[in-house]
Amino acid sequence: MEFADYRPYQSGDDLRFVDWKIAARMDRWVVRQFEEETNLRATIVLDVSKSMAWSGAQLRPLGTSVPSGRLTKLAYAEILTASLALLLLRQRDAVGIVRFDERVRSAVPPRARKGHWRRVLAALEEPGAGLASSAPAALAQAARLISRRGMIVLITDLLMDPGEVERAMRGLRATGHDITVLHVMDPAERSLGGTGEALFVDPESSLRVPASVADVRAAYRRTVEDVIEEWRNMFASVGVSYETIMTDQAFGVPLRRAFAARQRLP
Amino acid sequence: MSFLAPWFLALGAAVVVPLLIHLLRRRIGLQVDFPAARYLARAERDHSRTMRMRNLLLMLLRVVTVLLLAMAAARPTARLAGAGHAPTALAIVLDNSMSTSVVEDGAPLLARLKDMASDVLASATPEDRVWIVTADGVVRGGGVSAMREELQRIRPLAGSGAVHDAVARALATVEASGLEARHVAVLTDGQRTEWKSPVQTRGESPVLVWAPDESPPLNRAVIAAESRPARWTPRGAVAARALSQDSITYRMGLGDRTLARGTIAPGEEAIVRAAPSERGWTGGVIEIEPDELVADNIRHFALWIGPAPSVTVTPGAGIFARNAIDVLRSTERVADGVGIQVASADEAGTLPALLFPPQDAVRLGAANRVLERLGVPWRYGPARREAALAHGEHLRDVAVSLRYQLVPHGVPDSDTLAMVGREPWIVAGTGYVLVGSPLAPAATSLPITAGFLPWFGDAIASRLNAEPGAVRYALPGQRVPRPAGVEAIESGTGNRTMLSGSAFDAPTVAGVYFMVRGARRVGALVVNPESDESRLERWPAAELGARIVTAGARVVRRRDEWVRDAFAGVARRSMVFPLLLALLLVLAAETLAAAGSARVQP
Repeated sequence: MEFADYRPYQSGDDLRFVDWKIAARMDRWVVRQFEEETNLRATIVLDVSKSMAWSGAQLRPLGTSVPSGRLTKLAYAEILTASLALLLLRQRDAVGIVRFDERVRSAVPPRARKGHWRRVLAALEEPGAGLASSAPAALAQAARLISRRGMIVLITDLLMDPGEVERAMRGLRATGHDITVLHVMDPAERSLGGTGEALFVDPESSLRVPASVADVRAAYRRTVEDVIEEWRNMFASVGVSYETIMTDQAFGVPLRRAFAARQRLP
Repeated sequence: MSFLAPWFLALGAAVVVPLLIHLLRRRIGLQVDFPAARYLARAERDHSRTMRMRNLLLMLLRVVTVLLLAMAAARPTARLAGAGHAPTALAIVLDNSMSTSVVEDGAPLLARLKDMASDVLASATPEDRVWIVTADGVVRGGGVSAMREELQRIRPLAGSGAVHDAVARALATVEASGLEARHVAVLTDGQRTEWKSPVQTRGESPVLVWAPDESPPLNRAVIAAESRPARWTPRGAVAARALSQDSITYRMGLGDRTLARGTIAPGEEAIVRAAPSERGWTGGVIEIEPDELVADNIRHFALWIGPAPSVTVTPGAGIFARNAIDVLRSTERVADGVGIQVASADEAGTLPALLFPPQDAVRLGAANRVLERLGVPWRYGPARREAALAHGEHLRDVAVSLRYQLVPHGVPDSDTLAMVGREPWIVAGTGYVLVGSPLAPAATSLPITAGFLPWFGDAIASRLNAEPGAVRYALPGQRVPRPAGVEAIESGTGNRTMLSGSAFDAPTVAGVYFMVRGARRVGALVVNPESDESRLERWPAAELGARIVTAGARVVRRRDEWVRDAFAGVARRSMVFPLLLALLLVLAAETLAAAGSARVQP
């Protein structure tokens, strides 16, 4: 790694890279930047399928006590994406974005120049929310956008076929990409609340499941925990970082987790 | 199991509600978007067996809940363990005979029996019907509080009463109650003499008996006291017997004073001879030292004291009458004089008179004319020459081969002293005693029987004396024929009870009562307990139970067992509480089963 430039110290920077001589002479804290660091290329792959446009507020007919202001998974993921892109760009990392549902809806190649964040925001405002999710295609598109080894952050609710996701992940890992998966979930998806009986309809696949909430609550909870564990094991087996994100959490939590992944990189 | 309100069983039809809910639960109107429906489907698939089992369990618990509720509402009773008891007709037979007044462990046995009866009353419910039947056969009924007051008022009888009749009456009472659960609970001292003969009833209700397990205390009692003769002229004697293990001292009282003191040996008769100065009808007692049973430490007798009546005998009365008078004169029971005539009816001149038909049938008409002249409301009728037996007061199996029918003339106010078949043979009224046969062995064996002289003396002394009257002995409450002309009985304290009808009930309190006509005493009624009532020996439990021949009699010795089983022993108990308890448990199980799926809330 060769020295490239100084930049002002920001909270969270590694103290090893602080230039102590300048700090002593000019009473300013700066960190040294190196050539390799400035060349990180990150692509945020965002799931905009119909299942993401959902919040637990839609279960109110069952008597759940979900706050009316709760964000849908998609809204939460878009804010998360914008924030993550801004932070990366401020580090002079190149950031790109890929939005997908059953196909890739939009793609912005990774760039580190000024004004690129506005392009990212413009891409986020494009319409999406088709039917199903097809992550493998979107991941392949992201890989094509990053010609060199880079970082891919997949933000999705993972309501898709695990086998296809695993194959895509293995392919990306084989080309040297570092991948972080942020599994976005509404709390009402993790623990089924409310009472009574209803016909539960999957908006993507039109799967219809009649159930009594009280009867299936415990079994559902166990099943979701099993699914999360299965995803965690699968991603661990292919060397992918995996985090579950609840939409009622503050945004600092997923951002810290995503940046922790970033900091692990050279 | 039976039901007091069986129509509530129709509520059981409500079991279709949980069944329908279980079967129709998949007909759902509400539809919600849920992207994770695939997890829901997987959960149902992976846990279908558990969920089906729980749903089935919930359905069964809800069905059982409805059934238990319906059964509890129908108020079932069963011969099973349960709380409380079904509405029961219970008759408590309280043996308050004299022997239960014996003091044991510092308190009368009757007080214990009443306490036990009170304990049973405490467990009665408003739906029960309870009676108390005492040994005198009196049935008391009413509310529980009224029964408690009645219970406190019950006193020991002066005699044995009739526990057999009380049990039979109690059985008849509960069986007429109309309630399904019927029970008779007996509280007794289990006295051998009282339960001498078995109780034979056709009652089908169970009988629960309690009798004390302890041996009774040794009892001392005066079991006999009798003045001999009943009329002292003025000399006479009192004979007494005592029940005791050893010799005991006694006091003989006459009126208000002590006439004699002495000692009676067991099994022997003590005789006290005296010629007291009192006159007229009076009462006396034989008394011993008090022991645990004080009621039999005193025994009453009565006598008349006065001058011997003067008697004349006409020639036609016969040799037997003359000899009898000679004997009575020699014992100072009669004296020579013109007071009372013993005469053949055709020879009688005045009343009072003891009259026999003439030995010559030809004189019968003259005899009837004399009877008319004397105002005797009887006439001699046709001769009866068939052999027959006569029975009457002091007379047993007297052979009669010739008699003249006694025909009433007018409306006679008289007593029949002896009868042959259904016809009067000896009658007595004011100032006369009229016999239907001549006093000769050819007509009757009366003059040659052992009972002749006592009867003869009694007829003169009791019926013809200037102060007529006799001593009658009765048990407490016993039905007694009313002597002719007696208007009332008077206690020793002067209280009078007016009499009507041909018979009356003897007082229930032991003592001497005087029969009165107008202002005159004309006899005495002596009320004493049965001598057997002083024998306190008790039956063992098994033998006592065998003496009550009914659908089922059980004798218990433990007080709490009797109190507990007086109602519960009917065996039909209310199942409402156990069912409600079961219902509570089922509801708790249902709540747990339902909560198993509802524990996790977002």
